[in-house]
Amino acid sequence: MKRPLLALSAATMAGALALSACSKGSGSGSTSADGVTTIRFVAADYGSNGQNPGQAYWQGVISAFQQQNPAIRVDLQVINWNDLDTQVKTMVQNGNQPDILQTGGYADYAKNGMLYPASDVLSPATAGDFVPALAKAGVQDGTQYGVPFVSSARMFLINNALFRKAGLDPANPPKTWDDVTTAATALKKAGVDVPLGIPLGKEEAQAESFIWMMGNHGGYQDAGGAYTINSPANMATFTQLKSWVDAGLTEQSPAAVNRTDLTKDFASGKVGMLNGFPGQLGDLRTMDVSWAPMPGKDGVSPSTLGVADWVMAFRKGGHKDQIRAFLDFAYQRDNTVKFDKEYNLLPVTRTALDALQTDPDEKALQPFLQILPTATFYPLSDPTWPGVSAQVKTQIGTAVTDPGKALDALQQAAVQAGR
Amino acid sequence: MSRAPTPRSLLRRLGPVPWLAPAVLLILAVVVWPVAEMVRTSLRRIDTTGTDHGPAGLVKYRKLFADPRLPEVLGWTVVWTVAVVGLTMLLSLALAQLFNQNFPGRRIARWALIAPWAASVLMTAIGFRWMLDQVAGVLNRLLLDLGLIDRPQAWLGDAAHAKPWLVFVAVFVSLPFTTYTLLAGLQTVPAEVYEAARVDGASRWQIYRKVTLPLLRPAFLVALVVNLINVFNSFPVIWGMTQGGPNADTATTTVFMYMLRGYDVAESAAMSVVNFAVVIVMVLLFLKVSRWNEEESR
Repeated sequence: MKRPLLALSAATMAGALALSACSKGSGSGSTSADGVTTIRFVAADYGSNGQNPGQAYWQGVISAFQQQNPAIRVDLQVINWNDLDTQVKTMVQNGNQPDILQTGGYADYAKNGMLYPASDVLSPATAGDFVPALAKAGVQDGTQYGVPFVSSARMFLINNALFRKAGLDPANPPKTWDDVTTAATALKKAGVDVPLGIPLGKEEAQAESFIWMMGNHGGYQDAGGAYTINSPANMATFTQLKSWVDAGLTEQSPAAVNRTDLTKDFASGKVGMLNGFPGQLGDLRTMDVSWAPMPGKDGVSPSTLGVADWVMAFRKGGHKDQIRAFLDFAYQRDNTVKFDKEYNLLPVTRTALDALQTDPDEKALQPFLQILPTATFYPLSDPTWPGVSAQVKTQIGTAVTDPGKALDALQQAAVQAGR
Repeated sequence: MSRAPTPRSLLRRLGPVPWLAPAVLLILAVVVWPVAEMVRTSLRRIDTTGTDHGPAGLVKYRKLFADPRLPEVLGWTVVWTVAVVGLTMLLSLALAQLFNQNFPGRRIARWALIAPWAASVLMTAIGFRWMLDQVAGVLNRLLLDLGLIDRPQAWLGDAAHAKPWLVFVAVFVSLPFTTYTLLAGLQTVPAEVYEAARVDGASRWQIYRKVTLPLLRPAFLVALVVNLINVFNSFPVIWGMTQGGPNADTATTTVFMYMLRGYDVAESAAMSVVNFAVVIVMVLLFLKVSRWNEEESR
């Protein structure tokens, strides 16, 4: 009688296996018997390679918050950027979304009606403190859902030593695309490995492309929110980029080069000029560089790219009041300034902007702080943008080989997105 | 054994069911259920947050087949599978022959062959990626110092350069398993057969073709099929070196499926279904070939 018993236990095990695979995660935070409400907070990790983890910053904020608000417990989960999207997706699919999420985009959650409007989860004082351009980027169909968390902006970055070596004046940076051609040609003659860096690898190709598109008054969408990826202006932009690539003025095969690698090459003195961002400041402390406005087709580009990361509050747990208490605390000036300084990011509130502008330690950040209020953002409120952006990242690099084919394919994909 | 007749007769009535049930349940849970779920997902409309917006019919399949990149991806998948498996089998036949000879240091050589197998494939791929890097790569340094090239090349920057390197690395990591399988096959060939062939005056090439190869057939077939399915489904080599890029120029269907997952889970599932169908066809072909093999040897 031993064998059937064994078989039976194996059968139950297989059954248990199947069951555990279907079981859903438990619901979001709850109120326990002692009157303490737990809210779940999922945040992205801005530290790199385990250095300077975001966990430490948030633990500090949360323990200070919990001392002031003993009735609220914040359950923190910090996830690195590579896994964040997938893990949050899994939480949402299982109906297990956090109360507060801090990540790269909000539009698709807002479109599905999963989010509280920002006015429900922020006190008027906090809500009124955001830099207007950023607050506006969080608005979808007339209601603000995305609460900006940190921002960043791009500027044209020049290696002064290489410029002088090529007989160029770093105090007079290129203003037009023709100037860029002249400077890059001179840098190439002076033996610079990569005169002009255009990282169109999938890491940040959507940003790099957008910056050059804006130099020719182009972009991903028109004023009405319709995709215009293969517009004549964008075609002209990529034809220009292609001519730089063909002339050997850029790195070889930009479609396969990621921003991180190229910025490392810049820091080691191999790149003459590229679109830089404040995150590089740490690496460039000892280097002689200039930050300049973006060169455009006929003159300095009308705008530059601003990027922002977002905080959003999910309706599912029903913890509106607790979320508001926590967000009002987390957005206090001292907290946000500390975070921005720690990771070389730009602020999103006016008080933090003022604080950083007068901070003598943050001189290097000044050019970015000045352009931030005028920066242009991705079509962040469009729920199809996350999907379109993912496709742009992998495909737009090939537009420097065949602009027409690549941009037409992306336009077609963008129009179909969300269907 | 047991004196209670009731449970015994109950068991007898159930026949083989209690013995088969665990295996059947396990297959249902880990094979059939995921496949059903995969097909179901490919017929839904799922947005980037993972929210399901209801049935989509065959929309995702139409979108997939309308993707201008798909024909090239399919073509490259065929070339990739045939080239990697073909080269692996050829080189392994030679290597197995070599390792079957007695020579000083054979033990060490055999151990050395295990190295690419013992190392994680993803690690090997990432290692090669950096060796081939335009700025930091050791290959460019070597070729520059030898004066063979005059400026550093981005070896993985475009499909024409990347594809041969991908095949090279995939062959490199497939060789150990294949060689050892063939070596095991070679060692089952009895020495008398060779002796008899030599007595009959067969040349070395004749012995290899008429004696070794036919007797090696079972091991060869096993190695071939395992490699075919492995290489067709291979993910780490391509992902570690090029991530299927630029665009999808070096993506096989498996890698392409993973790329689609980034923005459309349902379309990605549709690609999986197509992939699954191809594997089924490959297995059916194998079954047919191996049966033909049995009949011939009878």
